[in-house]
Amino acid sequence: MQNIWEYRDLIFIKGGLLTIEVGLGSLVIATLFGLLGAWAKLASNILLNTLAMGYTTIIRGIPDLVLMMIIFFEGQIFLNYSGEVLGLWGYVEISPLTAGIGTIGFIMGAYYTETFRGAFLSIPNGQIEAGIACGMSRALIFRRIIWPQLVRYALPSFTNNWLVQLKTTALVSIIGLQDIVYNANAIGRKLREPFTFLFAALLFYLVLTAVSEILLRSLEKKYSAGVRRV
Amino acid sequence: MSQANATLVVEDIHKSFGAVEVLKGISLTAHKGDVVSILGSSGSGKSTFLRCINLLETPNSGIVSVNGEVIEMRSGKNGEPMAVNRKQVERLRTRLAMVFQSFNLWSHMTVLQNVIEAPIHVLGVPKAEATEQAKALLDKVGILERMDYYPAHLSGGQQQRVAIARALAMNPDVMLFDEPTSALDPELVGEVLKVMRDLADEGRTMLVVTHEMSFARDVSNKVMFLHQGRVEEEGDPQQMFSAPKTERFKGFLANTRT
Repeated sequence: MQNIWEYRDLIFIKGGLLTIEVGLGSLVIATLFGLLGAWAKLASNILLNTLAMGYTTIIRGIPDLVLMMIIFFEGQIFLNYSGEVLGLWGYVEISPLTAGIGTIGFIMGAYYTETFRGAFLSIPNGQIEAGIACGMSRALIFRRIIWPQLVRYALPSFTNNWLVQLKTTALVSIIGLQDIVYNANAIGRKLREPFTFLFAALLFYLVLTAVSEILLRSLEKKYSAGVRRV
Repeated sequence: MSQANATLVVEDIHKSFGAVEVLKGISLTAHKGDVVSILGSSGSGKSTFLRCINLLETPNSGIVSVNGEVIEMRSGKNGEPMAVNRKQVERLRTRLAMVFQSFNLWSHMTVLQNVIEAPIHVLGVPKAEATEQAKALLDKVGILERMDYYPAHLSGGQQQRVAIARALAMNPDVMLFDEPTSALDPELVGEVLKVMRDLADEGRTMLVVTHEMSFARDVSNKVMFLHQGRVEEEGDPQQMFSAPKTERFKGFLANTRT
């Protein structure tokens, strides 16, 4: 225990903050991919439907670990190869942090796609028609009628995805990012106290997920106005 | 009965869903204060006709004009018709309020919020003014004391009265009712019909798709009977109900009267 206190900066501050950074960064990207994917799936355009279908089917069908390595290593090569062929850009180095955030965001976006698609389909079409019949514009209908209800219907599944996503951030340690797992593991091995240090990392995740759940639940409450509780 | 000063003129509406032609040329003229009941068995096209008037369905051909202003249509890229100017359609829709069979209140808003939503955000009425007007309307449909409730906590009849108040809040020129009592329990039908009668007495222009024969006979001043996408018989309700001219309307009355 004394050792943990000694290494608290490296584990909780440096490593922990990196975990939070990757988590929140990839959350923003995943949410954007999710909204975009849901829009593409629901659009009346076969090309968009097919693209979104391919995205969710492939991404959700492959282990995150494999995808992470493919996108990080091959993505880098592919990017530089296409830059060379097209002559548009020179050598680009993607930093592990950017790659980690981008990859996890891209992977989780496939799950959020289904979350938002399902939430949209839960909004009764008649409510949208009522808006149209009042002379509302599309933008107004989206902002005033669809969005508040979309958030409400999406939140339970969104929370679920986020908890999975937060834990998925541990994968960035394999591409060399020194997150909490990486640091806890490295120090634990060095001091021959792996259990103590990994246990500390475990508690850290538990605190983060618990806080997330409390925050998201209060958000859910806020957006649940008008929901009949049985 | 000239069309020149008519509130609503609908001419020769055709509508197909795929290969099925649901409306085969229907016309209607409504002047201020007219209450037109649109009758017909299910599948006759009466709801589709009503939805073509405010372009919830886009008719394949035909003309709709509100207060003399024609909704401009053109062919889209696949040859299907579409409105030339979305803004014009949105503006004219504010003149044609609709009450739906399944109420369609916005479930995340209270009764009061439902009623003030469109006046504030579509018509640009200041909030205080919209609220005052909404309260008066809710009082009129007898549901003012529930103004802070959410739709899920109201009965069907109460929800439909709120929906009527929401439509009235637009101060429309024509009110379109799409089977407003069909989704209600029998004992709740009366409260909605009463509100509709009051509106008719006030001189509101109303188009009512309905199965309520007593409303069609006693309240409306014109009845249209649709059959398979055509107007089978139309005219004065008293005459039509006491002496139906067509066999089909005669049969319809025999089947619906209890």
